[in-house]
Amino acid sequence: MAAPFSRLCRPLWRITTTSTLNKGVRNVSSSRQQWSAQNVKTAGAASPWALHGALCLQRLPVVSQDGSPIEEDFMELMHLMELERSLLSDHELRLLEDAARMSRKQEEDYDSDEEDYRDNEIVTAQDLEDIWEQKPKQFQPAPRSQGKHYFGSDHVFKIFQSYKTCRMFTNYSTGVDEKDVSSSERCLADSLILLAKKDVGSQKLWLLPQIQWQTGETLRQTAERALASLPGADKKATFLGSAPCGFYKYKYPKEIQKEGSVGAKVFFFKAVLSSHKHLPLEKNSFAWVKKEELQDFLKPEYLKQVRRFIMAL
Amino acid sequence: MSQGRSGRADQSVLIKKNKVYCISNHHFFVCAILLLQVLLFQNTRALLCAAASLQSQVLTTQMPLGVLLTSRQYRSMPTHGIGKYRHLLPKALPKKKKDRVQVKQIKAATATEFGVFNVCVSGYDMTLVEHYSQYIHNLCNHFDIKVDESCALPTKSTEVMVMQEQGTKMYVDAVLKTHERIVQISEMKATLFPIFMEVVLKNQPEGVRLCVKQHTEADYQARFKTRPELEGLLAKIHN
Repeated sequence: MAAPFSRLCRPLWRITTTSTLNKGVRNVSSSRQQWSAQNVKTAGAASPWALHGALCLQRLPVVSQDGSPIEEDFMELMHLMELERSLLSDHELRLLEDAARMSRKQEEDYDSDEEDYRDNEIVTAQDLEDIWEQKPKQFQPAPRSQGKHYFGSDHVFKIFQSYKTCRMFTNYSTGVDEKDVSSSERCLADSLILLAKKDVGSQKLWLLPQIQWQTGETLRQTAERALASLPGADKKATFLGSAPCGFYKYKYPKEIQKEGSVGAKVFFFKAVLSSHKHLPLEKNSFAWVKKEELQDFLKPEYLKQVRRFIMAL
Repeated sequence: MSQGRSGRADQSVLIKKNKVYCISNHHFFVCAILLLQVLLFQNTRALLCAAASLQSQVLTTQMPLGVLLTSRQYRSMPTHGIGKYRHLLPKALPKKKKDRVQVKQIKAATATEFGVFNVCVSGYDMTLVEHYSQYIHNLCNHFDIKVDESCALPTKSTEVMVMQEQGTKMYVDAVLKTHERIVQISEMKATLFPIFMEVVLKNQPEGVRLCVKQHTEADYQARFKTRPELEGLLAKIHN
């Protein structure tokens, strides 16, 4: 019989979901929000909903993403067009003059008095170019995906005599690190979110780190406490704002529900990881995941709400 | 009705809205009838026709043509004014000369809105910096965020000096130019800000530094050139 089996297979909690408080969401959600507010009001002055503040900690992408084949082709075409339309620089003019002078010297009826002496220099333009080309060879770029040292976004050396910007990251090695979910240095081109495994009720679930709200503090402070309570304590993160970005509501299972507590409401706050010094986290309790991988970790109803405010850009 | 020749010179009929002032003695009777007609008809065209008919009657009595300055006849044509479009265009104000740049009041922040803040984009590569600042500006337009100003700060040149291997002299190795662009935003809602910041941060290119800070009077004054002679004079006055 299909029906009773399906009831058994469903998760232990009846999870009711409502709208988010995100301003960017369309009008549909605002009307549903009013419904939930009314629901709370009928419950009485002391709300039976426990409040939690949760933290959506993101590690921003470090390296820009590779373009699709069309983008690469187009970029090459634009570079080529720009090169063809550009004017010659001083250095290139000098190169041409030197070359012309060389060819004149080779001729039979060469008279060195006819030359302009101010153009004669000891170091020719070609020599300079050779010196310049030797210099970048002393520089070792970091590999794109592995390792502890990578180029931050502070500086890029543009070597001006070559008209294409040097690709700093020449190795694109997809090492083991890509699959290692506990390292925050994986997938440098994407943004990652921190997930924590927590016991909720009798189960261990993957969640965004959350902590119960205490009276007298703002929800943002609750989220900050959640950040501080994470192990690997030197995580410096900047909160993007005091407004929550998402909301999730769930009811406790029937056995736990009492007079004063029906369920819990979780408010999510976004933060951006600002320091990269990190210690490896315990493998089974923390994970840095991309948006596509979230479905492997989170429950479907929870995932549906969380997906609304996570941007995979 | 036939009228005798009259030597009266001034015979002008003014049409002012719905009233007809007839200053002619001879044609008083005619005017009276037409006046009645005029008062009865509220329609301008009928009024004009009435005036026209008056004039036509008047003119048959060999008056000098220039004397009667009544309504010009073509306004009675049904196609009068056809092809007029100037009145349909929006009012183009006369181009005034640029007056002195006034110091704008910096709006303070309220509980739900930010005040005026600057998004500064700086870096060595000008194409990246400019494209990124244009991207931010377009994003603001898309989100209907008010952009007060979008300007550039003067380019700063940095000389990279390298010490020679043998010897103590430094020589110039390279000149790096730092370009900076500012997008000034005001009245942004506090609930929209985290979303905006996230989009901006996630699309930041390599090699570009992003800085979001409050706009102050000092920032504004820093853009102007100093006037040394004025400052000298002011110092002299104060001393």
